[in-house]
Amino acid sequence: MSDINNTRKDFKILGGEKPPIYFDTACMSLRPDRVVAAMDEYYLEYPACGGRSAHKLADRVTKKVKEVRKNVAKFINARSDKEIIFTRNTTESINLLAYSFPFKKGDVVLLSDKEHNSNLVPWLLLRDKIGIEVKIIPGRQDNTFDLEKFKEMVSGVKLVSMVHTSNLDGVTNPAEEIIKLAHEAGVLVLLDCAQSMAHQKIDVQSLDADFIAFSGHKMLGPAGTGILYGKIKLLESLAPFMVGGDTVSDTTYENYQFLEVPEKFEAGLQDYAGIIGLGEAIKYLEKMNFKEIAEHEFKLNTKLTEALSKFSQIKIIGPADPKLRSSVVSFYIPGKEMHQIAVMLDEMAGIAVRSGRHCVHSWFNSRNILNSVRVSFYFYNNEEEVETFIKTLEKILKIL
Amino acid sequence: MPCIVALIVFGIMGIFSASQRALAKEAAACVFRRVTFRACNTGFADKVKGKLLAKVLQRSTFLAKVLNKYYEIFSWIFFILMLGSTIWVLRGVYNFYVFGSCNGLNASGFCAFDPSGANNKVTEVNGSSESCGITPKIEKNITLKNVELSSFPSLAVAGAKDTVVFIGCYDCDYSRKAYPDIKKLITKKKANYIFAHYPAKGNITDLLANVGYCVYHDYPDKFWDWNSYLFATDKDYILDPKNMDAMLAKFNFDVKTIEECAGSPGTKEAVAAQVKELNKTGIYGTPTIFINGKAFVGPKPYRVYRSAINKFIFF
Repeated sequence: MSDINNTRKDFKILGGEKPPIYFDTACMSLRPDRVVAAMDEYYLEYPACGGRSAHKLADRVTKKVKEVRKNVAKFINARSDKEIIFTRNTTESINLLAYSFPFKKGDVVLLSDKEHNSNLVPWLLLRDKIGIEVKIIPGRQDNTFDLEKFKEMVSGVKLVSMVHTSNLDGVTNPAEEIIKLAHEAGVLVLLDCAQSMAHQKIDVQSLDADFIAFSGHKMLGPAGTGILYGKIKLLESLAPFMVGGDTVSDTTYENYQFLEVPEKFEAGLQDYAGIIGLGEAIKYLEKMNFKEIAEHEFKLNTKLTEALSKFSQIKIIGPADPKLRSSVVSFYIPGKEMHQIAVMLDEMAGIAVRSGRHCVHSWFNSRNILNSVRVSFYFYNNEEEVETFIKTLEKILKIL
Repeated sequence: MPCIVALIVFGIMGIFSASQRALAKEAAACVFRRVTFRACNTGFADKVKGKLLAKVLQRSTFLAKVLNKYYEIFSWIFFILMLGSTIWVLRGVYNFYVFGSCNGLNASGFCAFDPSGANNKVTEVNGSSESCGITPKIEKNITLKNVELSSFPSLAVAGAKDTVVFIGCYDCDYSRKAYPDIKKLITKKKANYIFAHYPAKGNITDLLANVGYCVYHDYPDKFWDWNSYLFATDKDYILDPKNMDAMLAKFNFDVKTIEECAGSPGTKEAVAAQVKELNKTGIYGTPTIFINGKAFVGPKPYRVYRSAINKFIFF
């Protein structure tokens, strides 16, 4: 097991005299040097196609990709590596399902009220294209999930597509209960695990999730990598929406023969370097203790939450209890543009935070809130960085 | 307002840099939203403000507070100053194009496009030494009003609306520089043309003035070739009296007659009268070129003369 206090050395960017204070993991995590090295190794030593050519270089790629697929399956405790489809990111994973799933007019897709655009727009588009119905479960006053409301609304739904941990406020929805209730109502569930995968142990069998989607770039992996997990039987029943290169075993001028799952969903030449990098990231994460990560993030979150609560003008999005917001502290000042504060934090102390609506425009619009600053932690952050953040923010607030 | 300022600044910088071009685009999007009465939602204005405030805040909380409070006012002030300086720069560019100097016609202040002031340099007419410095004199004192030019060599073009008067000296480098452009101008623009030789360097050029007077008198058709020859030939050669016979012979002039004419008191008086007449213009150096009465002192780029003929001068 890796020592959480000794991980910063694994990230070159965090070395040096004045490293950045990186509080934007919810957007994209940093990568350990070994992830980059693994990708370098691919490009420098065996930069070939996987699953096609017969030469040694290609064979090495094929083996590596297969190994990563197995590691991903093991990482989320999937029954088979066939349940792992490589995509470019969570957005693509969700779109893949949206366009492969046999929806018909009138089918209902149920979402929470703080879905990332990647889990909202595909459904709205399907609504406009084929006439599915999109229903939103309103959250509680404190922005937590309303399970009672969910119970009322789940009946008659075709698919529940739900964020696991919100990128807006860090609140983790009760996935187990949601899935259980949905299954009792005969409804399938897609879980958007983009934010949760790197911060908590996800066991798809224990959760009994039908589909989950996540991105490599939020879990120490390279950008441009994502996964769609699906139960094998379900995946086999879906028709691929993007086809062509790979995806088929044979074609004539009149016909085609699809490959088996998962290849039938992986159209075109894959990002082998990315997949290999993702594999390395998973190896790294497997050595981490997720409980320790959660405790560390909670400690940082508590420290920041306590400091922010001293400023009367600051409003934290989500529940007051930092324990419920895992690694995220998203805050705003009513009527103020928060981009300015984010820029000042960066200029004054090299603090990288996200400002804006975090691709959850719908939530901000419905509440008439301009935008927020989002601080998101990971195991490579420390208390000293939080203290610098607080001191810098104090200075900024003095002049606003 | 900060968006407009940013658009102008980054727009100009964007000509040279792709990264600045991207910022200019962001600023343009912001301006577009503002002029269509919508809030700027690109975050650009906040980014700019944030960067500025951060820099000031690291030095003084008080100043940062003031800047934050009066940011819009400061932006307006900056905008007005920038607008003023932009107009000033544009005026300079315009002046340089049409007058050859950023500061206006014959104005001698520093001009970034002509740092050596070459377009204003003249051979002073009040002394024998060639002064290459920039003189503070201005063209408004120079005029053709009440100056009688009928005795000078002239070329009239039927129907021509423009008149060019070239006052130059064969021994003046700047006149020699300007001469080909003036020749080209009157050919291309079909303008009436009057040439006046001003013996700017005293005795040394007097002889050429006198000979020129006689050549024009006796051979008016050949005068222009003679004139062009003198401007194009090495100065030391044309100024050496020993070469005069050969030069006159080259054009098949009656050498003896011309020399007698040039040495006659009548010619000297006539040339002196011409110089006296030219002095009435108030010129302070050669070349001085009048185009439709407007004086251009010093060897201007050709486009300046062309602009004057084309009536491109608005101010």
